[in-house]
Amino acid sequence: MKTTRRTFLARSAAATSVFSFSSSVPCFLQQAGLLADETGQQRVLVVIQLSGGNDGLNTVIPYKQTEYRSLRPTLAIGADQVLRIDDELGLHPSLAGFHKLLENGQLAIVQGTGYPNPNRSHFESMDIWHTCKRKTEQRREGWLGRYAGSQRTGAGDMGSAPGSQMPAIHLGQEEQPLALASEQVRVPSIHSLDQFRLQGSTPESVRASVESLVRKKQAGADGLLDFVASSTRSALAASKQVEQSTRNLSSGTPYPSTRLAEKLHIVASLLDSPLETRIYYVTIDGFDTHGQQAGAHASLLRQLDGAVSAFFEDIQARGQSNRVLMMCFSEFGRRLKENASKGTDHGAAAPMFLLGDSVKPGIHGALPSLTDLDQGDLKHHTDFRQVYATVLEKWMQTAGQPLLGAGFPALPLLRA
Amino acid sequence: MDIMQVDPEWGWAPYRPSPETPWNRQAAAHLYRRAGFGATAVELDEAVAGSPGELARQLVFGRPEPDTFRQLMRGMVDSMIATGDASRLAAAWLYRMLQTPDQLQEKITLFWHGHFATSAEKVQDPIMMQQQNDLLRNNATGSFQEMVQSISSDPAMLIYLDSASNRKIHPNENFSRELMELFCLGEGHYSEEDIRELARCFTGWEVKNRRFRFNRYQHDFGSKTVLGKTARFTGEQAVEQVLEQPSAARFIAARLVNYLLFDEPVVPALLVEPLAAQLRADDFQLGPTLQRILSSNLFHSPFSRQRKIRSPVELMVGMLRTLEMTVNVNELATGIQEIGQGLFFPPNVNGWEGGRSWINSSTLLGRANLVYRVLADEKTRFAGGSLEEYLAGHQVSTLAQAVDWFVDHLLAIDLAPGRREEISGTIDSSQPDSYRQLLHTLATLPEFQIC
Repeated sequence: MKTTRRTFLARSAAATSVFSFSSSVPCFLQQAGLLADETGQQRVLVVIQLSGGNDGLNTVIPYKQTEYRSLRPTLAIGADQVLRIDDELGLHPSLAGFHKLLENGQLAIVQGTGYPNPNRSHFESMDIWHTCKRKTEQRREGWLGRYAGSQRTGAGDMGSAPGSQMPAIHLGQEEQPLALASEQVRVPSIHSLDQFRLQGSTPESVRASVESLVRKKQAGADGLLDFVASSTRSALAASKQVEQSTRNLSSGTPYPSTRLAEKLHIVASLLDSPLETRIYYVTIDGFDTHGQQAGAHASLLRQLDGAVSAFFEDIQARGQSNRVLMMCFSEFGRRLKENASKGTDHGAAAPMFLLGDSVKPGIHGALPSLTDLDQGDLKHHTDFRQVYATVLEKWMQTAGQPLLGAGFPALPLLRA
Repeated sequence: MDIMQVDPEWGWAPYRPSPETPWNRQAAAHLYRRAGFGATAVELDEAVAGSPGELARQLVFGRPEPDTFRQLMRGMVDSMIATGDASRLAAAWLYRMLQTPDQLQEKITLFWHGHFATSAEKVQDPIMMQQQNDLLRNNATGSFQEMVQSISSDPAMLIYLDSASNRKIHPNENFSRELMELFCLGEGHYSEEDIRELARCFTGWEVKNRRFRFNRYQHDFGSKTVLGKTARFTGEQAVEQVLEQPSAARFIAARLVNYLLFDEPVVPALLVEPLAAQLRADDFQLGPTLQRILSSNLFHSPFSRQRKIRSPVELMVGMLRTLEMTVNVNELATGIQEIGQGLFFPPNVNGWEGGRSWINSSTLLGRANLVYRVLADEKTRFAGGSLEEYLAGHQVSTLAQAVDWFVDHLLAIDLAPGRREEISGTIDSSQPDSYRQLLHTLATLPEFQIC
């Protein structure tokens, strides 16, 4: 029988106390003191970063507005093509899956998000979204890295449990997003499942003998050795866990064959395992559509749509969907007026997406005015950090202020 | 005992072997691992027959690369540059680390690469990256003063720190900040005003066709006040003014001690002072101070043994040199980059943080897997032959003997009692690759990550 998180929890509960595990609990979990928490600790956040600056206006489309149609002579998507949300707005035709999620009550669209004095450099703006700080401030940690650090259990022993060592996981080949940087814990980047798996002609015997050799704390062991030993224990446990969780990756509901879908497929498998990871972070790049935007943007949104739809079908089938909140963001939107190359240049305010069983579905907030612009760009009315605060406080159940650097009022985006 | 309590006079006095701290193969291996990357069995035999002080002197001054080797390296580097891909330079550098007779030169060059961190991610151009690498190597054990002067007009550095077109009306403060904060003085030894004034001294310093160029029309010839002194400083004079600060010698001495002796804690000020005084007295010549550090009581004391986590480069080059291995260096460079140390691609201007930051789940698994891949590659050779032949040449013919031999030569920390037997017991000696399995297992142990 496959050990789902649910059965794992049931077994843990059957034990006489959380600290005295029955023999049915796998030994490596026992070692690691890995506990599931009944207070809602197991809620998970999946972040999808749309890198390059997604064109919000061609994602959530004000198909009726004259300015939209007149300033985008080649790129405007007409009333007959959009997937209608209401009498004002419609989704890009590539987003059929998102449209269905909206109808199922699983998609919330937050209009007009951004921040004051928007920066139009990819690098700088992404850093602002990642750290919630401007260039003039020290930015060594990201907002999710600070969260991960706050989840660390036991000073100086960050390697003791897979859950405490891996409060967050980044999946992907690219450099780890600054959002996950922490001075307290090392957030693993799983570059590929292959690399996260112990290789060898007899990996099981290597694993077994290393596990047995690092099993006990060496009496009087030096600080460094102790640190590496506990890190080795948790690396082996995490690797085994990830490997087991992803062994039957091909089974279950189908996914499209795109990189993003592949990553979300892994996330779904890891969700459905005893791993205590609370945050999964993936990216999809290519949204910097300065030229010939129409085809490229349609294709990117199709990849996003396909991967996200497959993911939600999968976690529903696994009985995991009520644990998951997904958030999609980009470092900025794009200019209202299209450029001479049938593309759009860097802009400012844009919509964010929240997906999951717990969202209050539909459009939140008004579309920023298409006539009252800031250097040709939409003005934000909702600070992105309010959305972060909502996610932290209402979903992750932790105070937003220490992680965001300032207090931002949460928004009514989630069901109570 | 506590490092804070160590008497600096005793600490930096030359080490004399004693019954408590004997000069043996472990001590010699320690010296080789820290001054360079690692020693072969034969090098250890020779080392224990001589004196520790003489070996330290030799490692610092006595093993220059022959001209033929330099020419070989020049050719290899040029062929890597010809690909236009800066990441290929790492392979040539690793080859040099593996084959050079002057291990210390490469170890210290690697130190400066982290200290004056510059990434090809931004510079892009392999020619300028290699020019900088040569600059670091040529000055590695020479004058720190000359090094800082050279790096201040190094094209790769100027590009990396946005100083490549530094204009009079808008001086770029990035380089002047890092010159004081990261390169010479450390935080807290200058003011924001010093940064602004120092930046003016470097205006007109440009890069043109991969060369440094002084543009007098963009230089601010006015009077500046830098670190308490007012003059019409040129850039060169400003560097001198920075290095005249008492904190400069302390800063460099402390960084070197942490690099060579222990990751933690930051060297106590009292221990830094004698080295800083020597650096000043020697006009910032690094060689004598390096020799003193490497032949000191403190170096051979428990404060320095087993006190460092091997960086990815130290892990792999150490194993490869010790076992006289030859491998595909392109794949090695990629593998080392994957576990966190992309040569020519340091993560930021601060270089590699080092110490515990090398270690996490991904990198630990990556380390084990990289060792496995190198061992499984059929092109890998041990002194030109197979691992079995190599071990036979050292009178090793059973798994139990192999455990002893590997532990004695590769590990800085002995395994706990009974563990050697336990390990050889887990391997099936009838398997054709049992020695490789054994080495793979040992390399996955926590002890292997420490030196």
